[in-house]
Amino acid sequence: MIESFRESFGRTLVEIGRKNKDVIVVDADVKNSTKTVYFENQFPDRFIQVGISEQDMIGTAAGLAIAGKIPIVSAFAAFLMRAWEQIRNTIARDNLNVKIVATHSGFSDFLDGSSHQCLEDIALMRVLPNMKVVVPADAYATRALLYEIVEDHGPAYMRLGRDFAPRVYEDGDEIKLGKANILRDGSDILFVASGVMVSVALEVAENLKGVGIDAGVLDMHTVKPLDERTLINLARKVNLVITLEEHTIFGGLGGAVAEALSEKMPRRVIRIGSTTFGRSSRDYLSLLDRYGLSVNKVYSKVLEVVKNEDDEVLEGV
Amino acid sequence: MMGLNEVLLTKLKDMLRPVNGFHMHSSLTCLSILQAVLEVKRSDDVVILSKGHSAPAFYVMLWKLGLLRDEDLEKFADIDGLPSHVTRGLPFIEVSSGSLGQGLSVANGIAMAKRIDGKSGRVFVILGDGELDEGQIWEAAMTASHYGLDNVIAIVDRNYGQLSGNTERIMSKEPLADKWKAFGWKVREVKNEVESLKEVINELDGVKGKPKVIIAKWSY
Repeated sequence: MIESFRESFGRTLVEIGRKNKDVIVVDADVKNSTKTVYFENQFPDRFIQVGISEQDMIGTAAGLAIAGKIPIVSAFAAFLMRAWEQIRNTIARDNLNVKIVATHSGFSDFLDGSSHQCLEDIALMRVLPNMKVVVPADAYATRALLYEIVEDHGPAYMRLGRDFAPRVYEDGDEIKLGKANILRDGSDILFVASGVMVSVALEVAENLKGVGIDAGVLDMHTVKPLDERTLINLARKVNLVITLEEHTIFGGLGGAVAEALSEKMPRRVIRIGSTTFGRSSRDYLSLLDRYGLSVNKVYSKVLEVVKNEDDEVLEGV
Repeated sequence: MMGLNEVLLTKLKDMLRPVNGFHMHSSLTCLSILQAVLEVKRSDDVVILSKGHSAPAFYVMLWKLGLLRDEDLEKFADIDGLPSHVTRGLPFIEVSSGSLGQGLSVANGIAMAKRIDGKSGRVFVILGDGELDEGQIWEAAMTASHYGLDNVIAIVDRNYGQLSGNTERIMSKEPLADKWKAFGWKVREVKNEVESLKEVINELDGVKGKPKVIIAKWSY
């Protein structure tokens, strides 16, 4: 079943807004695209429009949080990053209770092209002290993790794709902030994935079974704080860890996993993600395929790595 | 010098001697503004020091109010002493500063929360004239005016100086009053002096429906 990240976000916001009167939503003129318009329709008095001004939006949210509100600010990931310095200096430094929800991340804004796609935000947010970073795998996880970050105190960055969200979880599954979900056990390879790449990892793992490779899948929906305990316990049992993210391989999930394992449980880590800017495309899946993130491309890449593993390891000596 | 309180001025100079006069000028032109604001401040008012490098002036005012001791001032910018730029957690300081151009947005957010909750109280925000170069100030100026935040009172420390030189040579601000007016603000220009500032702040309480800016002019 294919659902939509932003639909789930918009609808869950209304649910949360009904229960928690302190929640205020702030928009920078993208409410119809992010679906925060649903919240505005229900609670116009708790919806603040600041126009196309992401920096002012972050500062306004800081003020709301200082006054005791729980502001949820939302815009396209790419354009929220122009307020990175405001996020750093005001939200993160003062540990303010602001929730930043970025939509249209990764390649998901396929038609708008590289200006609107965002492949750097996890790295930019992950380096900030106090900031938590969550990347839900599907619409269900989006809902669950939105509840989690609103209940948690302090700044959080939630990263969503636009629409394409294949179902990974079943209703009732438990998804907790900071606790990675083991979706599949495996003794040869461990996939560590986030966002839509979790569904890709599951499909690749299933295909690998056919060629005798036993691959596990870990949904690292909370990139920060990273669930090192679960990661290490699973990495211990395999020879190869492969990270999968719709983001640059520099400093994102792959970076976080490599940092943790190199210190505590050295394993070879192959990072799969992008290394450059995107481009415009008439459909999303072609774009994922072009950048090596489709099921077929990931499957081929894994076979290539496994086949050459001994040679490559020796070359490196 | 603009009728500055000699005791406060001496305190300021003593405090900044070990740090080569760190932002001395920005602090001394801010002294009267801070004094005026803290003297008119009611319990439900909030003060945001957007020009966070005027922290030394703020600390001198806290000393005057008995909230800091001589030995605190002596430890200005010392590793475990008072931070060089204002930081959340100090008396009256709701938000850290140091990066310019961000205080007005924060003031608007606090003002909006007060409105949503039906709470009273003004939000004072002290801006430098140099930091008006930042685009975010004018984003926030539009927001305050769009929402008619009449509990927001910005005070511009118009000292005609920014880091590299005279404001009009680095990036001209004039006609400054016209710019704020064009953005929908009630504007008052006043001499940077305690009693004049207090008088104008009180008068502006009667202005409803729009945010207010006081341009506090320094003369040499």
